Amino acid sequence: MAALPARLLKVALIVSILGGLYLLAVKKHAEREALRQAAVELTPACKAKLQDYALRPGEQYRSPYLLKTAGSSIELRGYSEEDVRAIQRGCNIFDDLQGHLAKSGPRERWHADRFVRGTQTTCVHCHQGVGDKQDAAGNRLVGSNSMGTSWVMADMYDRFTGLLLPHDWRQMQCYINSSNGFKPNSADDLLRDVTAYSRFLAAALDLKIGNRYPEPGMDEIPASATLRRGDDYVRGAHVYRQRCASCHGPQGLGTVVQGRVLYPAVAGPESFSLDSRMNFARVNTVMPGFICRNMPPGEEGSLDNQQCRDIAYYLSTLPRPAGDKQGPLVAAWQQLMMTVMPPLTRYAGSLGNNDTAHVSH
Amino acid sequence: MGAARRTRVWKRLVSSGNPFILAAVIAGFVLWAHFGSGIQAFRSQVSSAPGWQQFRANYGLDDFGADSYFTRAAQNGYNLFYFTHEHGRRFTRKTARDAVNACAGCHTAEDLAYGFVNSDRFDARLGKRMSFEERVMRCYAGPMDGFVPTLYDPAVRDIRILARAVAHHLQLSEGARKDGG
Repeated sequence: MAALPARLLKVALIVSILGGLYLLAVKKHAEREALRQAAVELTPACKAKLQDYALRPGEQYRSPYLLKTAGSSIELRGYSEEDVRAIQRGCNIFDDLQGHLAKSGPRERWHADRFVRGTQTTCVHCHQGVGDKQDAAGNRLVGSNSMGTSWVMADMYDRFTGLLLPHDWRQMQCYINSSNGFKPNSADDLLRDVTAYSRFLAAALDLKIGNRYPEPGMDEIPASATLRRGDDYVRGAHVYRQRCASCHGPQGLGTVVQGRVLYPAVAGPESFSLDSRMNFARVNTVMPGFICRNMPPGEEGSLDNQQCRDIAYYLSTLPRPAGDKQGPLVAAWQQLMMTVMPPLTRYAGSLGNNDTAHVSH
Repeated sequence: MGAARRTRVWKRLVSSGNPFILAAVIAGFVLWAHFGSGIQAFRSQVSSAPGWQQFRANYGLDDFGADSYFTRAAQNGYNLFYFTHEHGRRFTRKTARDAVNACAGCHTAEDLAYGFVNSDRFDARLGKRMSFEERVMRCYAGPMDGFVPTLYDPAVRDIRILARAVAHHLQLSEGARKDGG
């Protein structure tokens, strides 16, 4: 008879735990729904971009970009208020992934910081111009990692993964490799909102589904596009110090002022992982392409192909987080190097400075 | 060797419990399956359903390569779209005897393409933003009287890829309307 109350107690305990979890899930669901319904406060870059493209709720949508560049625009299906908010949130996520500019912090970005390890990463570091980089005349730039074009060209064969890569899976890869983090679920608002933003860009730029455009991805630079002097990380270190270190720091650890990332890390714990396509040691054409097309800001195109390859090679020699494909030993080694190398390099640098000072005296 | 004798030998092998013999038997089976069985581990070809060649020509599928990964996925999408009861058996209860037993019973390929470029929009009836994939999943569960595939299943993915291919042929932009305005 004593066993019966004990058994009842166990059942009650299990039921109350499951009930508690259910209520927690219901509460979180309601929080998400409230966030979906809330007005979106745009980041300055998103405000400018979405104003330029005249995003507002309505039955029809006509792109001002098309009107400006082609002289006429076609009437497309408009956006509901819910769609507009999703696009706005997507743009915010893109511009400020971790919610540094948001009043309620990461909450407004669907807690995207759960999926990245560092505190610096955001999408615009690689996808400049809030995923739609243009020159002063409004021309879309080749190899600028444009998000609108990546949407219309999604689902194509990806040589790195061997898959027909959907847009959301590509975003997952960004979280895993470029952000050295974890994979959100395909149905997560985080991915869906960025997809909504990408699709809006495609509509605003009148991109046609499946057409080939030169903007998405990097304009890759293979060794065959150089004078074949061979890639040299010593030469790369030299050019890096001259052209890149003033922004990204002498050791590539980025520049953060009052918690605001002015220039992202290109090495060290806040940077992309060894598995990232940006890592020259893994794919030796992507990072050079990115550098040549996008760096230094305001002076794009001032580096030649060989210099871009050399800088990328040099960056790949700096310590950075291991990716999923490396084992724990490589991860531990990288961690050790990321901890030990910065102070050692600083110390070596200070010795060099002392010598210089001594000589100048 | 007669069947009875083979059975006796097999029983003796198993009852002897010699792990080396058992490992050799398993290894032998694996080698036979790989080299001798003639069963293909990976089939790069999709079965060619009636009308595929015509569809392929009509919608310029060769733009994506005569035999590309994408085209094969689109071909599977075609099979699923026009012959759902045969190629999407896991997700529909419809049979050849049903009057409407495929997606094509209600939609045209153009509908699919326009549906794709107008997806990820708010559906006031359902009170949520609906992706193209969710619509396909609902079709399997509802009109096709079946079951919901996962988001990652080729039964969903390949229909999206077919829609992309047709949208490309029609040169559709995001949000393009079928009535043209």
